[in-house]
Amino acid sequence: MTTTGTSTERVSADLVARVIERLRGVLRPDQILTSKTDRYNRARVPAPFPVHRWRERVPDLAVLPESTEEVAAVVAIANELKCPVVPRDGGTGLTDGAVPLRGGIVVDVKRMNQVHELDLENRTVTVGTGINMLKLNEQLATHGLIYPDDPASYPCSLVGGRIGTSGWSLIGARYGHTRDLVLSFDLVLPTGEILHVGDGAGGKISKSSSGYQLKHLFMGHQGTLGIATKATLKLYPKPEAELSPFWAFDDYDAAYRFTGALARAGVATFAGAVLFDEYKVAYLRRDDEAYIPQPADVRALTCAVLYGWEDEVRVGGKRLFRIAKEHGARYLGDEISEGDWAARHDRYATPLHGRTKTGQVVPMSWHCEDAAVNYTNVPAVTKAWHDIVADLRRRTDVFDDWGMFAYTSADTGVDYLTEIDVGIWEQRLDDDAWSMWVKAKRDIAAAALAHGGSISACHGSCREGEVDLVPRELGRGFDVMLGVKRMLDPNNIMNPGKYLLDFAYQGDVSAQLAELRNLP
Amino acid sequence: MSYRYEDENTPPEPQRASEVAITTHEHVYEVDPRLMELHVLQQTFPNWDTLRIMHARHDHLEWMHHHFAHTTVTGSELIAEIEDPR
Repeated sequence: MTTTGTSTERVSADLVARVIERLRGVLRPDQILTSKTDRYNRARVPAPFPVHRWRERVPDLAVLPESTEEVAAVVAIANELKCPVVPRDGGTGLTDGAVPLRGGIVVDVKRMNQVHELDLENRTVTVGTGINMLKLNEQLATHGLIYPDDPASYPCSLVGGRIGTSGWSLIGARYGHTRDLVLSFDLVLPTGEILHVGDGAGGKISKSSSGYQLKHLFMGHQGTLGIATKATLKLYPKPEAELSPFWAFDDYDAAYRFTGALARAGVATFAGAVLFDEYKVAYLRRDDEAYIPQPADVRALTCAVLYGWEDEVRVGGKRLFRIAKEHGARYLGDEISEGDWAARHDRYATPLHGRTKTGQVVPMSWHCEDAAVNYTNVPAVTKAWHDIVADLRRRTDVFDDWGMFAYTSADTGVDYLTEIDVGIWEQRLDDDAWSMWVKAKRDIAAAALAHGGSISACHGSCREGEVDLVPRELGRGFDVMLGVKRMLDPNNIMNPGKYLLDFAYQGDVSAQLAELRNLP
Repeated sequence: MSYRYEDENTPPEPQRASEVAITTHEHVYEVDPRLMELHVLQQTFPNWDTLRIMHARHDHLEWMHHHFAHTTVTGSELIAEIEDPR
């Protein structure tokens, strides 16, 4: 079902040669990469996939532009010659946004990592989108400032990828997410034209009611509508103090109730809470040094994090500890609280292994399925997702349930980024196992929708399996997506094959969309 | 680092930490070797390298705290203030 509306057509060798010849007119030779290593290293993202099919995802070449104008020149050539273009930033996304499905040119933005302007009075910074948040914050710290966009890939993801994903931040309940923190940006459209988007005129304006709100249209499109090249970001004072208490509970229900109470408390320095379910605690007790020594009655956890001036954090923190006492929470201690929170910023660096059903250790890669779910529906979605993964596990040792987190998305506790972590034995992920996984992904997405949620709070939803349900989730909005894609990308060169957007070029697809919307 | 190769490659006697984990050096946990016999085999690590990795992890976490905030308020301080507000 997932291949509906897509084609696997590749670029011919003749076209690749013509593209390279034309690129030599706008880029230096060292900016055009054609070696096997350069291309294979830009073929995948961390999300596990059937590695025996790696070759299908390899681009024909990669380029390293150094300015908006160079990106525009590359895209204009690609559009003229009808060659696919795939934007690539950190390549840390979990829904294959940066994966080339039809070959063509990967536009790697990593050389566009300059700080162009730091405005200390208006508290903004304008950067190339190839900059990483950690490296940016090292520079900002010398001015007492921070750009608080904090994904689990914080040390390795880039500002441009955050725009293309409309990313979610661990501390978004306090500072907002990428959509709130990026004020405006330059974008190269699929035709090679350059567009500046923000609120109204963009620039350093944070709120305008002038015209359509185009900024959001050009965020979260997974590289299908263009390439962000330069962005102006909102800055905050670097927090004076951090508090990150972890509390334990005998059971999930108590931890769930406590998490909701924390999020609803209205503490201004509250930056987020995370609920660890019983499967997650069992997984950590098996393999995480911090949790191996924990007593058996530690079955579910809640952590919270506060940032701000120290006096504010202390007052807010004491309020949360009083709520903890009312809920019978057990504080896990300073060492585990501080250590585990610090590790949350960098989950991509975790060495991973899973277990067969007999307990033997096997090498596994981490996959994370996410959804946006209202607080009251988190327990039902949690149960449904574990049931889906348990069914996989019964059939094969390729999959291992590593438990679930639910993270606050907003400062009121209205909805949660709900995620299930699944270990996948990639070396054993043959076509049969991959089919099982794709179906499971579709079922996971369907469960989120059935409970009034959205398929993704963070990653996006354009990977095999989940993508089939996007027309159902967006309803008439998906038809608008197709119209926008067709208008802005007349030759379907910008990251083709994603989000079922090939439908935009196939005439009347109402029957196919109706079929997708009626999937069980 | 020890003078003798054998000393440096012999960790302290393992203690059982759970049904599936053992501990050797203080704060160093390892998967029970019986669970690493088929698909992934345990490797011999020199003591200095094991300890280097552990300390590097702690250094990294400490660095991350300072990266996001100037100071860290501990929960135990706040509990003490709540229980004895003097």
